[in-house]
Amino acid sequence: MAKSDGGIHILQGLLVFGNVVIGMCGIALTAECIFFVSDPSGLYPLLEATENDDIYAAAWIGIFVGFALFALSVLGIIGVIKSNRTLLLVYIILMLITYAFEMASCITAATHRDFLTPNLFMKQMLEMYMKSETDNNNDKWMTEGVTKTWDKLMLRNQCCGVRGPSDWQEYTSAFRATHSDSDFPWPHNCCVMDARGSPINLDGCKLGVPGYYNSNGCYDAISGPMNTHAWGVAWFGFAILCWTFCVLLGTMFYWSKIEY
Amino acid sequence: TYTPTLASPTLGGRTTASTFVLEQPRCVFGEEHSDAVIWLVVAVPEGRWGTARPPGGASPWGPPSSPVPIPAAVPKFNNSVGPGTPERTFQNFPATAPAYLTLNTTLLGYPCPKPPGDITVLRVGAETSCAGDKSRPTCNGPLPGPGPYRVKFLALRDTEPVGETAWSEPITLQTAWPLGSISTTGSGRSAGMIALTSILSILFAMLLASLVALLFFGGSDTHIGSSTFSKPEPVAVRRYNTHHVYDQPAARL
Repeated sequence: MAKSDGGIHILQGLLVFGNVVIGMCGIALTAECIFFVSDPSGLYPLLEATENDDIYAAAWIGIFVGFALFALSVLGIIGVIKSNRTLLLVYIILMLITYAFEMASCITAATHRDFLTPNLFMKQMLEMYMKSETDNNNDKWMTEGVTKTWDKLMLRNQCCGVRGPSDWQEYTSAFRATHSDSDFPWPHNCCVMDARGSPINLDGCKLGVPGYYNSNGCYDAISGPMNTHAWGVAWFGFAILCWTFCVLLGTMFYWSKIEY
Repeated sequence: TYTPTLASPTLGGRTTASTFVLEQPRCVFGEEHSDAVIWLVVAVPEGRWGTARPPGGASPWGPPSSPVPIPAAVPKFNNSVGPGTPERTFQNFPATAPAYLTLNTTLLGYPCPKPPGDITVLRVGAETSCAGDKSRPTCNGPLPGPGPYRVKFLALRDTEPVGETAWSEPITLQTAWPLGSISTTGSGRSAGMIALTSILSILFAMLLASLVALLFFGGSDTHIGSSTFSKPEPVAVRRYNTHHVYDQPAARL
């Protein structure tokens, strides 16, 4: 009996340790998802305008799942130490529900990241940047969001367009309808600015002289934060779920061994 | 003789939809032209169908224009037709004026030798303010279409041609693809996403199956003794009174 008692104690210890790790990971997941939802890179208006902002929905789910994991891990520790069948059954069922939600969050984040291609952002930029006639309030809101975001993006990262200033030449755009090609081959925010926010040499910028305009595209500045966001939610969640899988299997085995 | 060329390809705005950038003709016209005015001639190479220019300048989003025949200019170009005449007015180009003259300067505008490292270019199509103003027939306005165009430099002394360069190669400007032609269909599912989805689905299915097995089979009370353990309980001992049959007669009494 001593040997199986020792085995049970080891299992108990492992389950408590597993739950402690789940609790800590839950807190970490909540913190990470709050960070992403706070949109430090300011790119949310671009996603909002694509009407495909599900990677934000995945982060919101992650916040609540993190809390739930923390609470359930405490319940699990208590249930394992007291060897209480009811508590552990409640723990297992609630954990499975939380598992399902977190699975949804991970799959959503991973799937929707695949939608965010350079062409999507280029088409959106050409359709909405500095669009002057908006159909309704919603359109106006999204257009203003896209315009402000692109202005900020081009100034902060010293870039122009998605692939480069040639985006504005290769395709028609809403910008082109109100800004003539001769005065604005590309938006003036693509010019290298001085400390006061005006181009250092507007003619040089219009000519496309290297050093007076930004010849690189902004796609890296967009995809970097979005990749971090999507992969952070998806793969960290995946790691937590793999660990939770093992802990839950162990808990189920432990539960089956408790006598009535 | 000198052939006008486009500027170096390092310039991002070398050709746009309505402008192009030429190298300045440095060290081309000699001192004998120091009292002449050097003009840039912009012409269409051969006759073709074009669209009439809407007033105020061309716009790709504007109303559709009607096609007009464009007269050929280069083959029979007459150097003596002066700048600013109706046949050489920018605002009539290219419908009734097969060419126009612009960017006039004296030889001082093109000093020779060219300082090394300097960017010496001419941007054709840079002036938007005079594009619709017929009182400025030598306006360097935005070009009305993608071309092709051919240019040459012409030195005039009081409307008398005294020197010229060769015609350039045809210069074609950029045409913009319509915005709707950008395809935004995704590049398909990435491998990481497929792996993540399938692994998580399999794990979840295994958990559900274990739960079902647990509830229906693991909950029975047919445990083999030594593989289970019991919670520590207070031991209750029952006292059996084995002499109860002798107590009953006492109760009847």
